[in-house]
Amino acid sequence: MTSYRSIIIFWALFLVPTLIMAAVAFKLLSHEQDRITQSAKDALVERTKTISDTIHLTIEAVQENLVQSLLDLDQNQLEKNLVQWEETNPLVRNVFIYRQDGHLDYPVRGMESTKEERQFIARYDALFSGRIKFDFNKDHLKQEVKKQYISDSDSGSVLYETVPKKVRKKSSRKTLVDLSRMAQMAPEKENAIMLSLEANKRLIKTSDWIPWFSENRLYILGWVQKYETGPVYGVELELMTLLSRLVTDFPKLSQENWAMVLMDGNDNFMHQTGGFAPDIKDIPVSVIPVSLLLPHWRLGVFMDQKGGVANNGFLYLSLILLGIFIVAIVSGGVLLTRMTLRNMKDARQKTSFVSSVSHELKTPLTSIRMYAELLLSKRVADENKTQTYLSVIVDESHRLTRLINNVLDFGRLEQGKKKYQYAAIQMDQFLNHIIQAHSIRIQSLEIEITTQVGEGDYRIRTDKDALEQVVLNLLDNALKYASDGKFINFILEKEEAFILLKICDDGPGIPKAQQEIIFEKFHRVDNTLNAKQPGSGLGLSIARQILQDLGGDLTFEPMPGNGSCFTARIKHHESD
Amino acid sequence: MERIILSPKRIVSIFIALIAYALMTGGVWAKTDAGRVICRVETDRTVLPAGNAQDVVLKITLDAPSAPLHIQRPPVNLSLVLDQSGSMGGNKIEQAKAAAIEALTRLGLQDIFSVVVYDSNVNTIIPAQNAKDIQGIIRRIQQIRAGGSTALFGGVSQGAAEIRKNIENDYIHRIVLLSDGLANVGPRMPDDLGRLGAALIKENISVTTVGVGTDYNEDLMAKLAQKSDGNTYFVESGYDLPRIFAAELGDVLNVVAKRVKVTITLPDGVKAIDIIGREGRIKGRKIELFMNQLYGDQEKYALVKVNIPKSISGTKMMIAQADVNYENPFNQKSEKSSGISYASFSRDPKKVAKSTNIDVVKEYQLNLNALAQEKAIALSDKGKKKEAVLELKKSAAKLKTMGSFYNDKELLEEADALEVQAESIEDQGMTKKSRKILRTKSYQKKYQQQSQ
Repeated sequence: MTSYRSIIIFWALFLVPTLIMAAVAFKLLSHEQDRITQSAKDALVERTKTISDTIHLTIEAVQENLVQSLLDLDQNQLEKNLVQWEETNPLVRNVFIYRQDGHLDYPVRGMESTKEERQFIARYDALFSGRIKFDFNKDHLKQEVKKQYISDSDSGSVLYETVPKKVRKKSSRKTLVDLSRMAQMAPEKENAIMLSLEANKRLIKTSDWIPWFSENRLYILGWVQKYETGPVYGVELELMTLLSRLVTDFPKLSQENWAMVLMDGNDNFMHQTGGFAPDIKDIPVSVIPVSLLLPHWRLGVFMDQKGGVANNGFLYLSLILLGIFIVAIVSGGVLLTRMTLRNMKDARQKTSFVSSVSHELKTPLTSIRMYAELLLSKRVADENKTQTYLSVIVDESHRLTRLINNVLDFGRLEQGKKKYQYAAIQMDQFLNHIIQAHSIRIQSLEIEITTQVGEGDYRIRTDKDALEQVVLNLLDNALKYASDGKFINFILEKEEAFILLKICDDGPGIPKAQQEIIFEKFHRVDNTLNAKQPGSGLGLSIARQILQDLGGDLTFEPMPGNGSCFTARIKHHESD
Repeated sequence: MERIILSPKRIVSIFIALIAYALMTGGVWAKTDAGRVICRVETDRTVLPAGNAQDVVLKITLDAPSAPLHIQRPPVNLSLVLDQSGSMGGNKIEQAKAAAIEALTRLGLQDIFSVVVYDSNVNTIIPAQNAKDIQGIIRRIQQIRAGGSTALFGGVSQGAAEIRKNIENDYIHRIVLLSDGLANVGPRMPDDLGRLGAALIKENISVTTVGVGTDYNEDLMAKLAQKSDGNTYFVESGYDLPRIFAAELGDVLNVVAKRVKVTITLPDGVKAIDIIGREGRIKGRKIELFMNQLYGDQEKYALVKVNIPKSISGTKMMIAQADVNYENPFNQKSEKSSGISYASFSRDPKKVAKSTNIDVVKEYQLNLNALAQEKAIALSDKGKKKEAVLELKKSAAKLKTMGSFYNDKELLEEADALEVQAESIEDQGMTKKSRKILRTKSYQKKYQQQSQ
């Protein structure tokens, strides 16, 4: 009991710290995973901000260059130059020339314009009909842009001057900016300017970009007015070109469970990068406005919420390692406990074995000593008695010999050192000889011995002495435990290369729970010292081991009603 | 010795005869002058009924010459943009790869080749390079695997970026886009992709679109091709892809004129009413049309409806003059060609009827038929199936009447095919396949796509 309590205490002391350690480790790892995820998100958000800034600056540079190119146009051939520009520059979707008196010089209203131009006129009807002034949005947009880029902006009054020079030089979208610089026509000559000035045209060089919404879609119109009394003219930016050039320079995102998405004002995905393909219904973990020059356009950072391993890679890996560690610790504990229990059992069995063997040795020795002393004192005059005493001495000596043989054989069998000498025997004769040899013992117990031998030749090649030990152990068992019965039946049968020897009795039998473990060494159904029957708990174990060594086996099956039946499968060994 | 004295009348006669001979043989010279595009302007009738103002159909035909055999063809800058979204899995992606390899093997060492694949993301698997390391390129093409969404806009944009690496050189620039599904990343409206196409054509980049299966957006693909002056194809299964790519490359390798601009000038009194099929600009008495490329031996044309003022029987007037400006890709020089059309007036109906130009009438009717097919699609999209079927049947009846009148086999065959199509739509509704066939055929007719 003390040992069991020790084991419980051991497990308590062992498991509690392990579980506490596992829980703490799990908590720490979860926090670490969250921290890693947050760091990845923060890094991505920062990167998104940088991309957003770059896009903004690129568009600003594009718009600045376009405005400058517009201002440089020869005012005397404005329409020709603008149309040429529209036809050749992918960034220019439409061009227009508007007089301050509400007259649209170009494109011409009516069927002389293309379908695209008619749609263009309809789209900006509020401007082209004079209902809204071109500069209605100018101050507002300028202030908003300045607010957004306050830290980067240079001092200046016009929109494009807010672009920091150092960034402008480093813009990765150089080709797009170059495209906006494409001056197709010769700038206005100096003398033409002089002539204009002479004609009292005051140079004002005003310009603006108008983000314009029509049918829930964004359009961008840029206009300039060079002279106070001159026309307002400009271009409509081709957003598809802008987008097409921007997306090809969009940085590639390699993270598997993240995505960076460029979204328009209607939340449509314009471009995405990253290993995760978010759905339009997914909610971004962070959203950054792209630029006030592209109102409502945003860059969204999406994380795969169902990402599993991809999302929590560190946590999963750590948990696997922690799991392996805990399993190793618990397995060690289980192993230690098993070894302890086994050692305890072995110790108990050895103690019991020594006691049993001592008891077994003592009983015949006592008989032998007692009868030998009687015969030595010569006080027994009766010849019959003398014979009886001598016979008891001989029987007890045999019993002692068998016991010692069993113990010796057990040792040899355990170490696998037992040698077998094969020789041919006639099994039925061999059986009869053993029964005859023990007939006195059997008769004294008033048990009837019956023998059933099936048809055929029972000649077999095996180790005679080993087999005799098996049969004697089984017979001893039957005589010991079935002495209350009326018979012991020996049955010989043939089964291919085996001979089956069944030894059945009508004794009390073996309890069901014990039937599986009767063949274990040192096992006895009644393991107490004052057990009804003497024994070492080795007989059946040795018998089975010998038969298995000889290529056969020993099995048990209960008799119908009461009684036991042991079947020895004896293998025939061919001669060498 | 007898002096031969020619009278002024005789001298004039000889002079006129010489001019007539020069004009007659001039046509022959033009035909045999390799590398020259010939411009013809024809009316639907050469003799018009005298009297009130009337509408006349003009056909401005550009006859592209054969590519000269003794001069190396202009190099090609080709970018294949392949859909590798999940729906392309299995046979389609395998055939697309085979088609890409087919295209590659037809290129020469001077050509530029690039391959862009797209799903949710866009990847350039073969950056623009000379088609030299064929085996290495094939190995990379073989590694393409299907999966993900359809970032069509990004794919075309990336393809254009690859083309742009050599944009300054005298290449024939072409993107071939292959898709089998709906674009779900990036702009996806046909008009948006049309605008991208319109922007690319300004850089002389044409986009040919190939739709596979019945799930792609044919409006988007047709618009992109139309605005960039490329071809458009519809293939039901992937097995046709290698053939289509080969045909497309046949066109691209056979370009004989680039940046083709047609300007039609009308005389005083003649008004432009409409351009049939093609897009162009009517600017007063000038009509401007643009075609990116002409292929060898190809006939491309534009149909314009004009209104002619009152006329007197027995008179003759100029109807239109067409000037064609283009770049010869073999010598990179700008070249010109022009054509002029006259018509006389008569009160004799038989004379008028006899002067009918069947070719012009037929092409006009087939173009009207193409427009009717587009109208039927639009009606069907609005749920007006009956009206759509009626539109097609009306067009088929017109074709049939015209075909019977002029005993024209092509018109009759087209009428029969259209009737079958109309009946099919009447029974089963406008299926995805029917819609794609109508859209593609309409496009191919309006823009005279050579390879089909």
